[in-house]
Amino acid sequence: MSGTTAPAGNFCARGAHKAARTDGGANKTLVLTGNPNAGKTSVFNRVTRSNEKVSNWHGVTVEMKSKRAAIAGGVFDVVDLPGLYSLTVYSPDEEVSRDRLLSRRDGLVINVCEVNNLSRNLYLTLQLMELGADVFVAVNMIDELTKRGKKFNAERLSRALGVPVFAMSAKNKPESDAMIKAAAEYLSKRPARQKSGGAARARAYRLPYLDALPLKRVAALTAAAAAKAGLNPEFAAIKVLEGDGFIIGSLNLSAAVLNEIDALGDTRHAVAAARFSYIDAITDGVITDAEKFEKSAGKCSPYQPRYLSAPERIESGQNAVLASGKEWGSDGQQLTCRRRARTSRTQPRRRVKRSPYQPRYLSALDRIVLNKYLALPIFLLVMAAVFALTFGLVGSLSSRLLRILMQNALYDPILNGLTAAGVPLWIRALLCDGVILGVGGILTFLPQIALLFLCLSFLEDSGYVSRVAYMTDGLFRRVGLSGRSCFTILMGLGCAATAVMTARGLEDETMRKKTVLLTPFMSCSARLPVYSVICAAFFASGSVLIIFGLYLLGAAAAIAFAALFEKCFKRLKSGKQSFIMELPPYRLPGAGRVGALVWQNVKTFLIRVATVIFALNVIVWVLSNFSFTRGYVCGTDYKSIFETLGAFLAPLFSPLGFGSWRAVTALMGGLIAKEVVITSIESLGGAAAVFTGVHAKEAALSFMIFTLLYTPCVATLAAVKREAGTKWMLLSLSLQSCTAYAAAAVFYGACRAFSASPGLFIGAIIFGAVALFTATVAVRALKRGASCPYLCADCPHKKGSAGE
Amino acid sequence: MTLLDAAPQTHYVIRSIAGEGFARRRLLDMGFVKKSRIFVAGRAPFCGAVLVSLRGSLIALRADAAATIELGAV
Repeated sequence: MSGTTAPAGNFCARGAHKAARTDGGANKTLVLTGNPNAGKTSVFNRVTRSNEKVSNWHGVTVEMKSKRAAIAGGVFDVVDLPGLYSLTVYSPDEEVSRDRLLSRRDGLVINVCEVNNLSRNLYLTLQLMELGADVFVAVNMIDELTKRGKKFNAERLSRALGVPVFAMSAKNKPESDAMIKAAAEYLSKRPARQKSGGAARARAYRLPYLDALPLKRVAALTAAAAAKAGLNPEFAAIKVLEGDGFIIGSLNLSAAVLNEIDALGDTRHAVAAARFSYIDAITDGVITDAEKFEKSAGKCSPYQPRYLSAPERIESGQNAVLASGKEWGSDGQQLTCRRRARTSRTQPRRRVKRSPYQPRYLSALDRIVLNKYLALPIFLLVMAAVFALTFGLVGSLSSRLLRILMQNALYDPILNGLTAAGVPLWIRALLCDGVILGVGGILTFLPQIALLFLCLSFLEDSGYVSRVAYMTDGLFRRVGLSGRSCFTILMGLGCAATAVMTARGLEDETMRKKTVLLTPFMSCSARLPVYSVICAAFFASGSVLIIFGLYLLGAAAAIAFAALFEKCFKRLKSGKQSFIMELPPYRLPGAGRVGALVWQNVKTFLIRVATVIFALNVIVWVLSNFSFTRGYVCGTDYKSIFETLGAFLAPLFSPLGFGSWRAVTALMGGLIAKEVVITSIESLGGAAAVFTGVHAKEAALSFMIFTLLYTPCVATLAAVKREAGTKWMLLSLSLQSCTAYAAAAVFYGACRAFSASPGLFIGAIIFGAVALFTATVAVRALKRGASCPYLCADCPHKKGSAGE
Repeated sequence: MTLLDAAPQTHYVIRSIAGEGFARRRLLDMGFVKKSRIFVAGRAPFCGAVLVSLRGSLIALRADAAATIELGAV
């Protein structure tokens, strides 16, 4: 193909900026933006040595992050924004990005693109150029392309777009550094922009596809309003054509103007189609087979083939670009068609093969994992494997080893030493029972917690979590959630307080708040030691099964409540937001990244243990071992402070089977941090001392159910308040407490009833089940007339059948 | 024929995008424009999302969004 005449953009912009040169030391900001999951945060972490969360799914970053970094001899503010597909936005995290990009047009916008989805990524690039931002394109994940035996022609794309393009892989630190250095140099060397330069720059980019749109007409109608709102008039006109509610709202257009714009027809599609057809034209030949590339690159220019980095290369290429700059005239659309027609006529087979729009067939793994019938069983198996690894042999063995080590290396020698030194009994007891057994006890769960986070980060980074979202959406839709909620809910297995934040990517407000409310029902890693210790004390053999059952119970409670809200409360019904989600390709998580993620979670855990949990545990121990009047009470008949106070609350819990002051004390500590539940139990004499009597096993199970479901910790409540407001936080508090109480009471009551008279109990259960089934069938039968299998807002199928 | 009724493992060309509001805008922004080629990769369990390949990426669409996409033969 005619590789020498690259589809041209133009660099006229450069001349314009030379004229506009003012002072050299203007704003030095590098803003990272781009599509979700393009690798913005990876780049940010690399260049600022940060440790922000990175993962292989869309919408990990929900906040703007800014950090100062020294790059290429200057100091720059590097800003990381949540990903977005378009400047017309849908969810709160995208709003953050849009607001930043619209309000402050200083500095350089580094548009991180993913090479696998280049054309969709460039869609945002074009919008940034329409906006008049100073754009620098960084094409990420080049290594994945190289692995497939293809090459990326950065220089060709740069000429076509008229902005610098840098090919890199964020996995590789030198490449990320080189990219940011090139961007920084580009920003420093090129002239500072005029303050009102947005429109001038956008015009300087001269995007030919815009000529095909009725932009002038709309601009004439909206220019005055745009000037008033402080927007670039041409950009505002494009957004009006696109039907962007935010821009139209801020322009405050009159009804007459809106009607006139409506009369232009389907402009929304026209704008999107114009952009994509331009992209199709300029990306033609940008990604080629490796050997073809060498040839075309040789013909094309004297540039170094792989990277286009430093600005001087762009400058040096200027003349060549200007010479061919006329190819994209006002009839840009026609050119695209001609080009396409020609290629498809001459070599249809090879064209399809080389095209960047080659369909992505499902990989062999996806064909099994996403199979209609196997998908959910495989998901359950994967989760079961995670729990078997965490709680089964590997996890519990290493925990037990640590425990023995702690007993022999710490507890015994210290107790003996203190006894020999004649230290008072209560100090000995505080140090050994309170601190070493309590706080030290929780430390023995470090291997299990590390394993859990290892599994979770592996699932996330491989891209499996996105697949889970896709395959559970059918189920979740029925209960008013979307597959996207699945991320948040699965993250709840790690830590609910951080998981709640990821809900920001959800578009529908009610759905977002419901997800926030339901996520704490998932059993977080802090509750893990509680199950482990109690199961080890009472159910030695079946502990993995019981724990898996508890996790399932948490998930079931969340889904049951979602269904209840959706069906029974009109105000909590989710809006008709559509679920459109991208599935990232499978990626083998890098050992370094997974390691860093696990280490970060382990570090958080250790810091919590050393601060909050340690302090709380000492307080709990003191209050449980000292009486109001008599001081230290161990071994005497006087009641400790907690025993006295707990006596008031304990009867409340006797229907649940654990009406002892020790259990109540442990639960109260758990309000602040769930780990305290187990440290308290340990320092109050262990699980065997807390659950006594004939029904100790049932009481222990009921206690675990209560711990699983009751009020989330303070940190989670604060997160819920931040994401959904005080009302929802109070709702979360009361909902979880009541659920926990009811579930534990029902469970314990059922156990007691079963042991009292098994026959009657089973009979009642069967009767209840039959009654419930009959009622459901009756309700279904009554409702059937109104149901449509498609479940869409304005169902075209129903209308069609009604018309016949 | 809409995407909802499309046969899996088949190539199509997009004829039109019906619907309105946010869902349509997002479809357009993701690259669902007329004349684009699309490959139907599969369907999720429980009448869930439709999985399509468009412009090199895999995109899952819920039934209501899929029903707005009118397809034609390649």
